[in-house]
Amino acid sequence: MLQVLADGLVIGSVISLGAIGLSLTLSIVRFSNFSHGELLGWGSYLALSALAVFTATRESLAAPLGPFSFGWGLLGALLVSTVLTALLALALDQLLFRRLRNQGAITLVIASFGAALALRNLLLFWYGGVPQYYSQNLQIAIPILPRSVWGGLRVTADQLFVLALTLATVTALHLFLRHSTLGRSMRATAINPSLARVAGIDPERVLRATWIIGGILAAVAGVFAGITVQLRPTLGVDLLLPLFAAVILGGIGSVWGAVLGGFIVGLAESASVSIVGAEYRAAAAFAVLILILLVRPTGLFGEKH
Amino acid sequence: MQQPDTLPAPALVVDTLEAGYEPGLPIVRGACLTVQSGEIVAILGPNGAGKSTLVKAVAGLVPVSSGRNWLFGQDITQVAAHRMVFEGLAFVPQTENVFVNLSIAENLELAAAIVKADRHERLAPVYAMFPDLARQRSLPAGQLSGGQRQMLALARALITRPRLLVLDEPSAGLSPKLVGLVFDKLREVRASGVTVLLVEQNVKAALALADRAAVLVEGRERLFAPAAELLDDERVAALYLGRHTGRQASGAVH
Repeated sequence: MLQVLADGLVIGSVISLGAIGLSLTLSIVRFSNFSHGELLGWGSYLALSALAVFTATRESLAAPLGPFSFGWGLLGALLVSTVLTALLALALDQLLFRRLRNQGAITLVIASFGAALALRNLLLFWYGGVPQYYSQNLQIAIPILPRSVWGGLRVTADQLFVLALTLATVTALHLFLRHSTLGRSMRATAINPSLARVAGIDPERVLRATWIIGGILAAVAGVFAGITVQLRPTLGVDLLLPLFAAVILGGIGSVWGAVLGGFIVGLAESASVSIVGAEYRAAAAFAVLILILLVRPTGLFGEKH
Repeated sequence: MQQPDTLPAPALVVDTLEAGYEPGLPIVRGACLTVQSGEIVAILGPNGAGKSTLVKAVAGLVPVSSGRNWLFGQDITQVAAHRMVFEGLAFVPQTENVFVNLSIAENLELAAAIVKADRHERLAPVYAMFPDLARQRSLPAGQLSGGQRQMLALARALITRPRLLVLDEPSAGLSPKLVGLVFDKLREVRASGVTVLLVEQNVKAALALADRAAVLVEGRERLFAPAAELLDDERVAALYLGRHTGRQASGAVH
């Protein structure tokens, strides 16, 4: 029972961070970006390459930090990956989406399918299809509660790290959107692009910021998936539907909605693993999605327009 | 680029402007308008005359196919909409003219931050002018009534300290009492030295407010005269009813 909750929160962290970026693209760039999941996949592998470079230059960087399975090297690699994934998102926009922006949302959606295929197969080509890991160190789960208390609870230090850094990232983003001029400009552009222009907000600047933030969050989510599960080229396509479920569940355009939606989808997935088996994971997320949309068609935090 | 032979330059010169949403389908067809500094000028006319399109073209929101717009002697025809506040032109759209997901304070602070102005220095006088907004500053703009929204939209525009304020039907959807309040604010705005250009459906109220008014029909001004003269001019009603007066016979004052 508690274990299901804990595992769900870890899966939910990855989905939440991915869903925020997807939600921002949906509300500001105004199309469903089906290649967003691939940014998570790329984020995880770019960190793997950066980690390889770091540990090749200084072996001590691979040494585990305290109770964690990873060392300073992976934290550095995470930073490098956020920068590179943000650049990848910007490059996709420059090369593809920006050119099609006047062709309507359907064209953009189809183009994003193509981008997803290309990105995924490039990953497969460069890194191979065999799952990989950032660290070969085994992690022993720390028993928090004995079996007698609601089935018991065991967590790894890595899982706690992922959860804590997710909350820190989401809080930082919240403060950015709430208090910075660029963040407020993004919210303004999301709700009313025409008024935003009249008010003096440069739409191109807001679009760039949206891609950069989406890329950074995708990289963090991808690395978290790599830390807690494994690295695989199909990460993006596997996460795509849960990401969309989380965005729709939370209400399109709402950051907190995406976070909450991500955790709900994560919890539904982890509950279904222990109740009906792992093969029904995706179905569980959608069952919850359908139930919530029946009650609240605009999603939990969605606004009626 | 400086406009020749005009000293001092009028606040706005619209010179044989053609503009529309689709190429080859102009809605504004050769309109000419001069707004002197410190004036309130109203644009009147029947539905579909192109009044909104005209002011949107001035604000950079609708593509201009020919003609020019000059703001205090500067050619602003090709200036992008989001650069207009930096040229001294603030535009208030007719509807959806506040950011409903931001609070009153956030709407105003954002406006100040965009023009890189000191927030406190800009907000204080605007709050003094709109005490209702100051009282509810943390309220989301989406919860405001129509009249309060119009006030916030006006306040948001004034934060940028425009030299020319352009409004698209500020009285739309408001009760006569609220229209009076909004127009009183526009008089205050003009008294502070800002030139005002507005589109209006409400002919009587607009002619009572404005110094001069233009009647636009089919994308061109048919009359452009002091508001006081137009109050009793039967040609105004005739134009609204579709009985066109020739432009040359209109006695238009440019």
